[in-house]
Amino acid sequence: MPRGAEIVLGCLRAEGVDLAFGYPGGAIMPLYDALEGSGIRHILTRHEQGAVFAAEGYARATGKVGVAIATSGPGATNLVTGIADAKMDSVPLVTITGQVRSALLGTDAFQETDVFGLTLSLTKWSRLVRSIEEIPAVVAEAFYWARSGRPGPVVIDITSDALKANMDFAGPVKFQPPARPEAHLRDGFPAAVIALLETAKRPVALVGAGVKLARAIEQLRELLDQLRIPTMATVHGLGAVPAEAPYYLGMVGMHGTRAANLALDESDLLLVFGARLDDRVTGEPTRFAPHARIVHFEIDPAQLDRARTCDLAVIGDLAETVPAFSNAVRRVSLPDWRGWKAIAEGPERAETDPRGLAQPTVRLLDELYRRLPENSVVVADVGQHQMWAAQRYRASAPRGFITSGGLGAMGFALPAAIGIQLARPDTTVLSISGDGGFQINVQELATVRRLGLPIKMVIIDNKYLGMVRQWQQLFYKRNYAETDLSDNPDFVAIAQAYRIHGERLGEDSMREVPLGGEAASLLDRFLRSPEPELLTFDCHPEANVYPMVPAGAALSEMVFEE
Amino acid sequence: MQVFGIRYRNTQGTLMRILNAVSRRGIDLPYVQATPAEHSHTVTLLLEVGPKQTGQLRRDWQAIVDVTEVRVGSRLTAMAKPAPNWTPAYPPVSAGGGIEAARTASA
Repeated sequence: MPRGAEIVLGCLRAEGVDLAFGYPGGAIMPLYDALEGSGIRHILTRHEQGAVFAAEGYARATGKVGVAIATSGPGATNLVTGIADAKMDSVPLVTITGQVRSALLGTDAFQETDVFGLTLSLTKWSRLVRSIEEIPAVVAEAFYWARSGRPGPVVIDITSDALKANMDFAGPVKFQPPARPEAHLRDGFPAAVIALLETAKRPVALVGAGVKLARAIEQLRELLDQLRIPTMATVHGLGAVPAEAPYYLGMVGMHGTRAANLALDESDLLLVFGARLDDRVTGEPTRFAPHARIVHFEIDPAQLDRARTCDLAVIGDLAETVPAFSNAVRRVSLPDWRGWKAIAEGPERAETDPRGLAQPTVRLLDELYRRLPENSVVVADVGQHQMWAAQRYRASAPRGFITSGGLGAMGFALPAAIGIQLARPDTTVLSISGDGGFQINVQELATVRRLGLPIKMVIIDNKYLGMVRQWQQLFYKRNYAETDLSDNPDFVAIAQAYRIHGERLGEDSMREVPLGGEAASLLDRFLRSPEPELLTFDCHPEANVYPMVPAGAALSEMVFEE
Repeated sequence: MQVFGIRYRNTQGTLMRILNAVSRRGIDLPYVQATPAEHSHTVTLLLEVGPKQTGQLRRDWQAIVDVTEVRVGSRLTAMAKPAPNWTPAYPPVSAGGGIEAARTASA
């Protein structure tokens, strides 16, 4: 008779899992004992946070469910940031944690934490498994909820005695979801949306990650090609709309483009496709799109009305609602919005090219992007470099720009890149971090080396926690409290300690026009290498990200300098 | 005060998820009663919330996997009084305090 651990792994295989990320420990040892021959490749990271971010990277790059495994207590608590990140960014994730044996539950036993309780508010669904008999049904249900609707994280916390027990196992089961009250499209859709369009003088479209999650990108592009209204994207929506599309205005929000933010602020009709409209997108929520009626295409009703009450909610899978709308649009004659487009896209609203102190860094990103093969994946950490990377991103690969957007978890990029590279071994993966974030999960260089993953790691080193320092400069009278990282280690030496080749590039190299031969060769070599490579770039300590919408301000109140 | 009735399958953590949707918004929970009802359970909550929060809460509850029905009732005031022998654990209140005094103390 198989053990509980073997049944867990068998059920994972039945769900299509062939790769999992984790870190072993006491309570989860039975599962690790059963790994060999299970058909599941396990990637040992050097920290549980590395494991969960790698699982997220895998999920974000493929759309499949990512799996992270850890032991009880500190192993489980180290997963929590990744679980929260997956919740915010709608990433399908199953985390499996070992738990103390059931007789010890609630006794503050060694390495016992209430994982179920502490992750309740961060998960879509979770279970504490106390007996082997529960395992097949729980695993099946966990995967169902992780994938369904708006994807998200689930937790399966399994006591060690359930993992060690034996029972007859008839095979994995299929979860039958209970009947739930389905959200219905408002009567009259899509006519109601078209009626709003017919009277609109300044319509705009805002594209978020939901379009990618629904795999509705082609349908959306078809719709936008018909509408040809000014269109913008959230940071997670980047790549869904081709940057060269004549109606595309770029990224919207706190560090969005001038054209996108102004058009949204002046619009009288806003069509939102799969975006949560969080405060980094809206600016001050009460002053968001002040003249616009809002139509919100969304699969998760819980995301409606967070910033402003929408006038019309189109609830449902975007893979169904967008084509339905597109078909309806094809049959009607819509107004001519060329005048509005000319205003929204006018030369005086051209994207601000951040000159000055940030220019060499922006140039570096442009030079790297220009050299990237098609369908490469850029994974950005969190901070100033993340916003520069997003602002300069021009590719139209649907899963080509990956970052921790909602939670803003520093330390995300390096481990996420591991998951991405494993998911897409033939793809160039460019990881961009700041000097602060890189050190949060620097230990994962060991994982990169062990697996020989050819990840291209860039560190934008300004010797500060740059985004915090920027806020301190602008809003706290330059009181740079505890953001100074001028005693950073030698990142090239660190890479070498992990047997990874590293190089350093000074910012003067990015001031030469055209780019100097030495720098160009270095970048070519860096990206073409079949090995992992690290490049550290010296960024000016006081370079800032502009435009910027200050906290509490409307999108129209973005600033371009101090 | 607004009364909410939520029907749910009494699976692990579902009641806690329902209550968490309230507590994460910093909204007090002056009245909570959970009871078995036929094949499922019902929890009744009385909350001081505006129309926007009412809508958000309702949608958050509906998104919980094992919640099967959410009803928003008419405004009630009588139920706002704490049940006999019930004292909020925090903040501490005097014997004659009641919930309003507790709110004042914490303001």
